Amino acid sequence: MQYNSSLDQLKIGEIVKINEIQSTEIPAKFFELGFYPGSIVEVKHKAPFNGPICLNILESNTLIAIRKSEAKLIQAEYIK
Amino acid sequence: MKKPAIILLGNPNVGKTSLFNRLTKLNQKVGNYPGITVEKREGTLIANQKSYHIVDLPGTYTLFPNSLDEEIVFNILSDKSNELYPDLTIVVAEPASIKRSIILYQQARELGLPAIFVINMMDEMDSKGIEIDEDQLSSLLKTKIIKTNARTGKGIKELIAVLDEKPAGYFNSLEIPSNYKEPLEEAKKLFPLATEYLTWQYLAQENVGILPIEKQQALLDIRNKFKLNTHQMQKDESLIRHESVSFALSNIIQKKSNKQSNKTNSIDKILLHPILGYILFFGLLFLIFQAIFSWSGPLMDSIDGLFAEITAFLDASLPDGPLTSLLIYGIVAGIGGIVIFIPQIVILFLFLSFMEETGYMSRVVFLMDRWLKPFGLNGKSVIPLMSGAACAIPAVMAARNIENPKERLLTMLVTPFMTCSARLPIYIVIIALIIPEDTILGFNMQGIALFVMYILGIVGALLSSLILNKVIKSVRSSFLIFELPTYKSPDWKNVITNVWDKSSGFLIEAGKIILMISIILWVLGNFGPNNKFYDAQEIVEQQSPNLTEEDLAQEVASYQLEHSFLGYIGMGIEPFVRPLGYDWKMGIGLISSFAAREVFVGTMAVVYSIGDDVDLDDDGQKNTLLSKMKSEINANTGKPAYNFASGISLLLFYAFAMQCMATIAVVRKETGSWKWTAIQTLFMTGLAYVAALIAYQLLK
Repeated sequence: MQYNSSLDQLKIGEIVKINEIQSTEIPAKFFELGFYPGSIVEVKHKAPFNGPICLNILESNTLIAIRKSEAKLIQAEYIK
Repeated sequence: MKKPAIILLGNPNVGKTSLFNRLTKLNQKVGNYPGITVEKREGTLIANQKSYHIVDLPGTYTLFPNSLDEEIVFNILSDKSNELYPDLTIVVAEPASIKRSIILYQQARELGLPAIFVINMMDEMDSKGIEIDEDQLSSLLKTKIIKTNARTGKGIKELIAVLDEKPAGYFNSLEIPSNYKEPLEEAKKLFPLATEYLTWQYLAQENVGILPIEKQQALLDIRNKFKLNTHQMQKDESLIRHESVSFALSNIIQKKSNKQSNKTNSIDKILLHPILGYILFFGLLFLIFQAIFSWSGPLMDSIDGLFAEITAFLDASLPDGPLTSLLIYGIVAGIGGIVIFIPQIVILFLFLSFMEETGYMSRVVFLMDRWLKPFGLNGKSVIPLMSGAACAIPAVMAARNIENPKERLLTMLVTPFMTCSARLPIYIVIIALIIPEDTILGFNMQGIALFVMYILGIVGALLSSLILNKVIKSVRSSFLIFELPTYKSPDWKNVITNVWDKSSGFLIEAGKIILMISIILWVLGNFGPNNKFYDAQEIVEQQSPNLTEEDLAQEVASYQLEHSFLGYIGMGIEPFVRPLGYDWKMGIGLISSFAAREVFVGTMAVVYSIGDDVDLDDDGQKNTLLSKMKSEINANTGKPAYNFASGISLLLFYAFAMQCMATIAVVRKETGSWKWTAIQTLFMTGLAYVAALIAYQLLK
């Protein structure tokens, strides 16, 4: 069982805690909207053919969508 | 005395605009910020024995600008000499995402702004299962907390009562990390008057455009000296604030089960479904176009009838003469030609604004990003592209919330391909002339033809973007992040204000140009460069002496038009438009359209009224432009002027050509570059000419 994963690998319904963001290219806006280390997110929807994914930021209960290419740079761990 | 300035600041989707509408009622106007075309909503509120100037800022999550919109917010709030610099800032929040709003509030306060905190959408507290301890929150934020529901008007009175509030200072909510202390101290020497946090903002932004060049350079030197990464500084601030606010709020806010997000989730399961979601989206688009074409029919018929009556009334009651002729065939005909399309424009804006209000628009961004990315665009390009279906001017402006400079440029360059409402009049007239009014499988064929024209606009936009994407180099990597708000029933006040602003703006802007051009056209059509125009009666009598009185009058009129300034201009450009299947009369229409497309219909009304103004009294039916155009014969070919081939050619020309001075002006302003503006205009018009040429030569 794998306990760490980047956000783009997750399935709908999985809940994870973000560990680190592996790029200085990713703008601070990601932090401001809830993608910061320690934040807990749940995958809600995925657009087909590698389109964007939509996550629920549990703390603010808001739905935020990001592209797969950026999701790949965000590492998270599963929480039970 | 200067009116106290009040500014509304807040995240997107917290109901800021509804609140603004409540405060200002209809006492508001939409303009532009000086120098750039970012929409500025401002209004007046008279209360507490004075009048307040109220400004609704673009929605933003943070004071660190990521886009042009957000730059405006920072520029106003950080600059005491800005004319909009507020006496009081109202930070608007909604219960669920209150933490983000508190962070924004802290940033604003530490810049040195007095602010109060409004929790809007109070009705959602219950359904979202949230409880807030107001007294504690108030002492945490050191300001007044007002709870409102902008939709029902609850709490507005209480808000107005505290507009003169002068909350005490609020500082030091941000513990600057020790590794930044030294550079910050150096930067503070550059800005002795600024608050510490403002200096930090200057230091942590890549480029602060409003500062003098030498200060910008000095900041850059500090960043280089200490190897500072602005992204990292902003992220560090964000983390610190998130942590401290979370900690502070843990006793203030209680969350229970959330009914509303369950509702949103079940709707999203359908609307964001990988297959069903797209079917529904395209179904909605198809519905919009059917609505534009068929619902508006009765309204348009009655407007048409009304203008026919006005014309007949004026004709009967005013004395004959050049001024009467100018009034009837210049001004009334020109205005009538544009007013008639108002129902369609209103329907389109209604749908767009409805999608925006309910929260569906960002679902469209989600669904479409994957399909726009290969063309060098971005899911957010959907909003400019779709608004482009109404009018390219606000649409080009809407591109400013795209963060990536290249994607923004591409979006602005291709948005004018989208079928704007100004093209609609032309399409409708020409489609009515060349496509029979039959139905296939219950669908109106003319409606289908119109749908095809819209598709053509989309294809034109995407393919051009693909080409331009190869040419333009990218400076920054592309990213996309956006919020999908919970579904809400639309605030009809917002929808109505929005539709009113947009359609009246269109009517006034287009009306001004049309009025001007109608008058110019009338002058050009009623005067000639030589005696052939003025001696028309004698010349015609000499050439064909045996005409009846009625035929003579008609011959004279058409001889006069041919030898007027207008006739000579039309004939002058004929060699260029003949291969496209147009005669000189249509050439005149084409020329005048370069000011604005919608002028075409008005121009044709003027041109053809001059052409057979003798017949006007005879037959009420002949009053309508359509029947006039139907009976028109192309002077070159002897065939009907609007046959299938020339009709298709005209449709293609209008689909692609850049024929709108206002759009050119906006693109120039928004791109800040004459080069791109020129490239766009030449590219579009060249494409239009070639497409129309090929179509006519194949179909004739």
